[in-house]
Amino acid sequence: MSTTPLMPSAVSRRRMLQLLGIGAGTAALAACAPSAPGSSTGAASAAATGGAKTDFAFSSWSFTEEAAAPALEAIVKAYQDQAGVTVKDISFPYNEYINQLTLQVKGGQFTGAAHVDVAWLGSLAAMGKLQDLSALTEGRGYTDAALAAAQFDGVQYGLPWTIGAIGLIGNSDLLEKVGVAGDAFPTTIDEFEKTLKDLKGLGGGLIPYAASTKAAQLKDALIWMETFGSPLVDGDTVTIGDDASVEAVTWYKSLYDQKLIAADVDRFDARSLFAQGRAAVYDDAPVGRGAVTEESPDKDLGSKLVPVSRPVLKAGDSPRALVWGGALAVVDGEGAETAADFAQFATSDLDTVLADYEVRGLPPVTTEAQQSEVVASDTFGTQFNERITATSTSNPFWAFTAYSQIETVVAEQVQAVLVGKTDAKTAMQKAGEAAQKLVG
Amino acid sequence: MSATTQLPATPTPPSASSPAGGDAPRPPQRLRRGALRSERPGVRIAAWATVVVCGGFGLLPVYWLLATSLTPRDQVFSYPPKFFPSAPTLDAFAALASNEQLFGYLRNSVIVSVLTAVLSVLVSAYMGYSFSKFRYRGRRSLMYLVLASQMFPQALLLVTLYSVFSAYNLLNTYTALVLSFTTFTLPLCVWMLKGFFDTIPDELIEAARVDGASRLRIIHSIVLPLAAPGLIAAGLFAFVRGWNDFVFALTLAGPEKQTLPPGLVNTFIGEASTAWPELMAASLVVSLPVAIAFIALQKYLVGGLTAGAVKG
Repeated sequence: MSTTPLMPSAVSRRRMLQLLGIGAGTAALAACAPSAPGSSTGAASAAATGGAKTDFAFSSWSFTEEAAAPALEAIVKAYQDQAGVTVKDISFPYNEYINQLTLQVKGGQFTGAAHVDVAWLGSLAAMGKLQDLSALTEGRGYTDAALAAAQFDGVQYGLPWTIGAIGLIGNSDLLEKVGVAGDAFPTTIDEFEKTLKDLKGLGGGLIPYAASTKAAQLKDALIWMETFGSPLVDGDTVTIGDDASVEAVTWYKSLYDQKLIAADVDRFDARSLFAQGRAAVYDDAPVGRGAVTEESPDKDLGSKLVPVSRPVLKAGDSPRALVWGGALAVVDGEGAETAADFAQFATSDLDTVLADYEVRGLPPVTTEAQQSEVVASDTFGTQFNERITATSTSNPFWAFTAYSQIETVVAEQVQAVLVGKTDAKTAMQKAGEAAQKLVG
Repeated sequence: MSATTQLPATPTPPSASSPAGGDAPRPPQRLRRGALRSERPGVRIAAWATVVVCGGFGLLPVYWLLATSLTPRDQVFSYPPKFFPSAPTLDAFAALASNEQLFGYLRNSVIVSVLTAVLSVLVSAYMGYSFSKFRYRGRRSLMYLVLASQMFPQALLLVTLYSVFSAYNLLNTYTALVLSFTTFTLPLCVWMLKGFFDTIPDELIEAARVDGASRLRIIHSIVLPLAAPGLIAAGLFAFVRGWNDFVFALTLAGPEKQTLPPGLVNTFIGEASTAWPELMAASLVVSLPVAIAFIALQKYLVGGLTAGAVKG
C-alpha cells in the first residue's frame, strides 16, 4: 500500500467535527425523546364497573405453542364475540418472554393484558406500570391460595390463571417394582434415599431420581434447602449458608456421588429421561404432563404418572413444594380497562375455564372450576393438587427484583459442590454472601 | 505482436536434484502431490483418517439434523440412540408445508437479509475505499473506532437501538432490522473491502486521473469492478449475518416482520416441550438457500476474506 496520499483529503477536521456533532446530537435527541405514556399503578375500577370496551393487546408465550394455542385462541375469540372488540395477540418464546415484555413495557410499546409467570410479578411490578386488580377478584370464586400466588407485596398485580406447584412425579410402574405404591411413597428423606437405592438396584441404567444438576436449573436445590429447614431469607437477610442449607447440599451431593441422581440434567432432560422410562422420579409442574406423555413411546405413560409429596426431614414436617403458575397482569395504558375485564373473563368464567382445562390440562383457580366434574375426575390433577399444591409456598427470593440473579449465584455454588470443586459449607457461605449483595 | 510469434521459453533454474545440472532438458514440473495421493501407505491412511474425522465433525450435526427431522416425535430421545431412524416419516416436512406463518417468516428473512447485504456493501465500499486510498488526519483512529464498535456486547447495543428506534417510530419495521444488522456487519465489511482496495495498484488510479476520469468515475468504473469479488464476499457475509440473527430480530421486528430464527423458536419451542422433528426439518429447509449461496460464491468469500492479508 502506498504511503503517499494519492488524493487530497476530502474531509476536513472541521467537517469531521461537524459530523461527530450531528451524531452526538442524534443520540441525545433519541435519549431525550418522550417514551409512550405510562402511568403509575391504578385500580381497574372502570373494568369492574363496565366502562366502554376498547381494543387491546394480549401477550402470551402460548400463542404459538402447538398444544396450547387452540385454548388461547378460543378464549380470545369468545371474548371478542362477547365484547365486540379486537384483541391483538403478541407472542414471544417462553425463554425470552420476560426480557422482551420488560423491554416493551418499559419502552411504552406494550399495554394491555399480559400472561406472566407468577415468579415474574415482582420485577414487573417494580416498573410501576401494572394495575392493581384487587377490585376484579370480588365474587369470582378465586381460591385464597391462588390469589396469594398472584400478589406481590400484598398487591393483586395479577389475576391467577393456572396455579399449581413444582413437585415430585413418579412412574408408578417402576415404583411398584421396588414395593412402593403411589400412595405409599416415602415420607422422610431417609426412606426416600433408600427407595432411590432400591430403584438403582433394578439396573438397566435406570436413573432413580432425575434431579436437576445443570446450573441453569439448579435453583431446584432451594426447595431441598427449605426441606432441611433453611428459610433461605429472613426479612432482608439471606440465610443461605446456615446449617440447614449446608446439610441439604451435602445430602444432594451424596445422591450425586452414589449415582442416585445423574450429571447434566435440567428440566427438559429430566422430562426426556422420564418419558423414555429411564428415570423413576423427577421434579415438574402440571404443565410437564403433556410433554412427557407426548415424547414417550409408552402410550400408557399418562396413567402411570403419580404426583407424590416431597419427603420431609422428620415425620410431622410439612412437605415443601414451590408455587408455580401463570397469571394475567394488566399493563396500564391504551385498552387497559378492557384488558382487565378480559383477564377476569379468561381466568374465572366457568365455561371458558373448563374449555381451557380440557385442552391444556392446567389447574384452574376458582373453587367452582376445581369442583367441577371435568376437573375432579382427572386423577393426576386431583392428586397433584392434594399432595403437592396444597402445601406449596412461593420462593422467598421472588420478593426481590434480582431474584433471577440470586437463583443463579446459588445454583452456581451448588454445582461447584456437585462437581467437587468445593465443599458444601464454603459454597453455601459464598452463595449466601453473593445473594445478600443482590438483595441489598 | 503477431499471433504466430513464439513466446520465449521461460528460463528455468537448474534443479538441485538434476544429475545433469542446468543444461539438461527437464520435463514440465508436475504439481506437488498431496498427502492423500502419497505413495507411502502410512501417510495416506493418516491423511484419509484426518479427512474423515474432520468431515465427520462438520457433517455429523447436519446428518443428525436430517435424521431427527425424519424421526417420529416419540422416538427422538429413544435409548439407545438410533443412528438411522427406524420408522422414518416425512410428517415434520408435511407440517412445515402446511404452516403458512413460516412462509411469512421466510419472506421477511429474504427481504431483510438482501437489504442488509445491499446496504452494507454500499456503505462499506465507500468507507473502505476512503480508508484505503485517501490520507487524512484521524483516518487510522476512525478505522479502529469502526472496529471497536464490534466489541460492545450485543445486549447493550440492543437496548440503545431499541430506544432510538422507538423514539423514531421505527420499531416493527424492516428499516429497524436492516439498520441494526448493518450496524454489526459494517465494521467487518469495511475492513474486508479496505484490504481488497489495498491490493488495487495506486498506479491504476493515477493513470485514470491522468486520462481525465473524475473521482466518482474512477470508483465506479475502475475500482469497484476490480473489487467485485470483495463486494460479493462482503455482501454474502452481511446476508448471512442478517439471515441468522435472533435477538435483534426478536426484539425489533414485531410479529408481522419476524424473521426465521425467532419465528422458528416461537413456533417450535414451547414452555414445556420442543417439537424437535419439525424444528429440525425447518432448520434444514431454511439452511438450504444460505448453503447454496455459499457453495456458489465460496471462492469469492475466501478471496475477499484473505485479500490484503499477504503483502507483495
